[in-house]
Amino acid sequence: MKFIKNHLMFILPLMAILLGIEFYLVFDRTTDSYEKGLKEGYSMLVVTKKPMELSAFKTLNMHISTSEKIKRENIVSEIAKGVSQSSSKEILSSLPYFYNVGLDAYLHTSGLEKIKKDLEANKNIKKVETFGSSYSSAYRLFSFIKFTLKLFIVFMGVVSLFLIIKQMEIWKYAHKQRMQVMEIFGAPLMLRSGVLFKVAIVDAFIATILTSVIFLYVKFQWAANSGIDIMMQNQEELFKLSDIAILLGSALLIVIIAVYSVVFTSKGVQE
Amino acid sequence: MSNVINASHLTLAYDNGAKEIIKDASFSIKKGEFVFITGPSGSGKSTLLKALYGQIKPTEGNLVVGGLDLATARQSKLQELRTHMGIIFQDYKLVNEWTVAKNVVLPLMIAGYSVDVQNTQAHRLLKHVKLAEHADKFPLELSGGEQQRVGVARALAKNPVVILADEPTGNLDDYSSNVIWDLMENACQQLETTVLVVTHKIPTIFSLPYRHLIIESKGVYEVH
Repeated sequence: MKFIKNHLMFILPLMAILLGIEFYLVFDRTTDSYEKGLKEGYSMLVVTKKPMELSAFKTLNMHISTSEKIKRENIVSEIAKGVSQSSSKEILSSLPYFYNVGLDAYLHTSGLEKIKKDLEANKNIKKVETFGSSYSSAYRLFSFIKFTLKLFIVFMGVVSLFLIIKQMEIWKYAHKQRMQVMEIFGAPLMLRSGVLFKVAIVDAFIATILTSVIFLYVKFQWAANSGIDIMMQNQEELFKLSDIAILLGSALLIVIIAVYSVVFTSKGVQE
Repeated sequence: MSNVINASHLTLAYDNGAKEIIKDASFSIKKGEFVFITGPSGSGKSTLLKALYGQIKPTEGNLVVGGLDLATARQSKLQELRTHMGIIFQDYKLVNEWTVAKNVVLPLMIAGYSVDVQNTQAHRLLKHVKLAEHADKFPLELSGGEQQRVGVARALAKNPVVILADEPTGNLDDYSSNVIWDLMENACQQLETTVLVVTHKIPTIFSLPYRHLIIESKGVYEVH
């Protein structure tokens, strides 16, 4: 019972840190894909006197990635219903050119203002409509969610770190006598810290496996049957094979730092 | 005979040299000698012993043990030197979660001997200190005298060049103390091991005129 308790006291905070790391990875990937969706769904309207090519837009601002010409005939057909064909042609010839302009990234509203300014500096461009207010509220909501989740992850990490430091104190108490006696008789560092390393590395593997199992369950069971669109659409992003390597690497790094801290603070002969 | 320990103008201090314990001491100890170091409490006996196994470095002067200058030796060399030493403490310093047999063979384990050799030696050493039947017990199941015999057996495990003993009978009754002194005297006489014992009082059991150093007023002096 004591053996299991001792292991759990390190495995649980380590798992909390690994869950934090995995949450961050998953969140980063899903927000990337959400951001991509927002970016693709967003375009500004540019009105020009003469036709303009994409390359011309790009020379005005490097964030412009696409430009789609809106067919003027469609606009005319909407506004000139019941008007004679000659009048309709007249309207068409006097109409400026309309473009939906897409961007290469989801920018802050100040970025949008900069693009607007750059475009309006061109004499051929009559008007730029950025739809800033709806863009801004979506951007702020997105940024807020991103910030709160990251804050939560950092908080979780800090609390777990304190729990690991607590466990290191327990390790120090439990292993100090043996390590000091071994040091007196000339045991090299690896030999005297061997037992602690074995315990900690086993815990690192267990924590990695348990965290992976949780996320595999979330990916293949919960997300698949959740009925939540964003989960189902981003199911692939929820857990990747490469995440196991990242989690194991992080767990081993934490273990090495923790064990070496215990070993180095246990040096010297206790009076 | 060659010197195993050589101290020349040795100064030992704590707090970055602010608190001097031993100052400008010079002495040497030959191979196979049995030497007592006495002195009042707080005179620096244990500090000298710590310096001899490399736990603290000399502040000034030289301290050469087994050909190694401890003032300049690297940690790896100090570790190696300790594997040729047997160290006995007043509070035994046994590993409580290990069996008596495992405690005894610690120096062999560090030296990388096989488990078979370790088992054979554990049996031989425990028989030598008359604790063979306690091999599988844990230190806290033994009396103080028995624990110290385990400490002596551990110190003898690898036929060390030097045995350093810090008040080895400080916590023991007369009978247990005499057993410990016998074991160390035998090691010195039969194996030519240099034995250095730090104690506040030389036990009366010693009839032979062993060498005696005294630490007083920060100096180390020969007692004739």
